[in-house]
Amino acid sequence: MIYRIYINYKKGILDPEAEALKKTIANMGIKSIVDLSKGKFFDIEIKSSETGLSEIKKISKDLLSNPVIENFKIIKK
Amino acid sequence: MPKKVISIIVFPGSNCDRDLSIAIEKNLNVKINHVWHNESVTGKHEMIFIPGGFSFGDYLRAGVLATKSPAIKDLISYSKKGVPIVGICNGFQILTECKLLEGTLLKNSNQLFKCQDSFLKVENIKSIFTRNINKNIIQFPIAHSQGNFYTTQDSLKKLEDNNQIVFRYCSQKGEINKKSNPNGSLNNIAGIVNKKRNILGMMPHPERAIEKFNSQDGILFFKGLEELL
Repeated sequence: MIYRIYINYKKGILDPEAEALKKTIANMGIKSIVDLSKGKFFDIEIKSSETGLSEIKKISKDLLSNPVIENFKIIKK
Repeated sequence: MPKKVISIIVFPGSNCDRDLSIAIEKNLNVKINHVWHNESVTGKHEMIFIPGGFSFGDYLRAGVLATKSPAIKDLISYSKKGVPIVGICNGFQILTECKLLEGTLLKNSNQLFKCQDSFLKVENIKSIFTRNINKNIIQFPIAHSQGNFYTTQDSLKKLEDNNQIVFRYCSQKGEINKKSNPNGSLNNIAGIVNKKRNILGMMPHPERAIEKFNSQDGILFFKGLEELL
């Protein structure tokens, strides 16, 4: 079983990399960008079992994301 | 009488552990016990330090991979017993990721790695870590790209109300404002303690302020810890 975990910043958290990208896109002559945010995702293959999803949730909550600044979302691939 | 012990936990990528050992040994009559992160922290410790550096290459988020090391499990149980713990720079990041301290350290808002001398206002002069410093404004170097202290508004209010802010970035004259804030930290925060006040996290490096060619305010910091031994 493969799960994909998306991590992104909560609203209002300053991400300097996203800010730099926005400015760079403006330098490309594209002026229509309203907002841009950056995230990451992880694909994790886990042995199929009843506890698989709860283990993925634990990994997402306790390691992959920091609840102070980030949200996570899990989807089954 | 055997010497008192201060332990320093060393991770792959720590790079301030030796400077820290020298600074402690020069200013306190103690034995340093370096603990590799995969080992247990055992025996009696008067204090535990987590040094600066780039533990595990800052992969994922600075400090987070270190929180799963066996030595950190021991650190958490020592912290519950009230053992004083100090995390400097990456050590501060590790302590927030362990949730032993509030908040987190984001990338510097100016997108720069800041390596400079910084003036700090000693805000909480009663903490066990600062009550012997006897100076309101001290100067320690900083060197980080992720030192922008952030936390939720609720938690920030609690930190302020409980007097848990220990150091704030300031100007030479002690002005706390945007200009004297090197990284975008909320309320110019450079160092905090936990609610129980036995754990200190700080981004500036006192161990780099003990020699004549630079500020020597680090000596005040380390010598001030003597009563904890």
